Amino acid sequence: MLARRTLGRIAAQPPVLGAAPSGSRNMATLREIELRLKSVRNIEKITKSMKMIASTKLAKAQRAMQAGKQYGIANSEVFEHSPVEESGKRRLFLVISSDKGLCGGIHSSVSKAARRALADKDAPVESDTPVMVIGDKAKAQLARAAGKNIVMSFNQIGRDIPTFADAAGVADLIIKSGVKYDIVTIVYNQFVSALSYEATTMQVESESALKESPGFKAYEMEDDVTKDLAEFSLANAIYATLVESHACEQSARRNAMDNASKNATDMISKLQMQYNRGRQAAITNELVDIITGASAL
Amino acid sequence: MSSATWRNVFTYNKYAQIAARALRQSLKENERVAAEKRGVTILRYQQWENGQGGQQVYLNPPEETNPKKSAAV
Repeated sequence: MLARRTLGRIAAQPPVLGAAPSGSRNMATLREIELRLKSVRNIEKITKSMKMIASTKLAKAQRAMQAGKQYGIANSEVFEHSPVEESGKRRLFLVISSDKGLCGGIHSSVSKAARRALADKDAPVESDTPVMVIGDKAKAQLARAAGKNIVMSFNQIGRDIPTFADAAGVADLIIKSGVKYDIVTIVYNQFVSALSYEATTMQVESESALKESPGFKAYEMEDDVTKDLAEFSLANAIYATLVESHACEQSARRNAMDNASKNATDMISKLQMQYNRGRQAAITNELVDIITGASAL
Repeated sequence: MSSATWRNVFTYNKYAQIAARALRQSLKENERVAAEKRGVTILRYQQWENGQGGQQVYLNPPEETNPKKSAAV
């Protein structure tokens, strides 16, 4: 309030040579600082509320992840006993991310890992290795990097906790798409802790790879059941990785919004200091003007 | 029982989803509402050709609901 009256008085006085530019610059600066302060305050409110929402969602997502991980563990039980030789196998990459942003480096970490795997020198993959993407954000990044390889993309997953119906739908579409593969490599974010995540891969063997694997003969399964097992284990693996990625995304969003709120608070205090200094400088200048004017009389 | 012929029509996942849907619909009201949430999927997919995405297709197309009649006529 005092500042505004001060500003009004500066504007009312006739511009003195040399003093007007600095005065008007101060006025513009003060107004600008005030506007910035207001907008940063609003942003801080928004990021703080987003952080609250993300932390409540994180608690739920972590519970679902603990339950969903059991599916993935049950899967790997069979694959451990029937390992597959890596060479000469046709791979299908499935990259898991989500549609929403503002979650830190989730999407770029997963697409970087996928690009690294595609360009790997130690385990070279064919240049036309099919890639399927879940989530619009990773789809955009991979379309630029490996656009020719993308065969199918999925979205609308990750709004809420992923369900097994989502995973079964994705597995179904992969199988029905007719793409030839021996191993599916799922690239997803692994939940290391509430503060960090890491991009990892999970291998799922297809029916043909299972049958050819030496360890699998010990199970003595019929062909029909083997096909069922391959399809079901793909859905299992996709479910486990979807839920884990979802939990990673919520935790990353919470951390990102937390950092944003902290930065916003820092900016607010800095701007406030600047604003007060500017206001006091304007008052001081005005007093000097008045006093010199008075002493001239 | 003779060998099942459903394997010619759809995959095991679809088979499991159909069985799950039947089970969910047979539950008591409270449990059914809770279980329905676990069966919801709004998945969309699109085929890609040569670096270009195709049409987005719903896996389970949302039902067309008639617009409700408003009170003000």
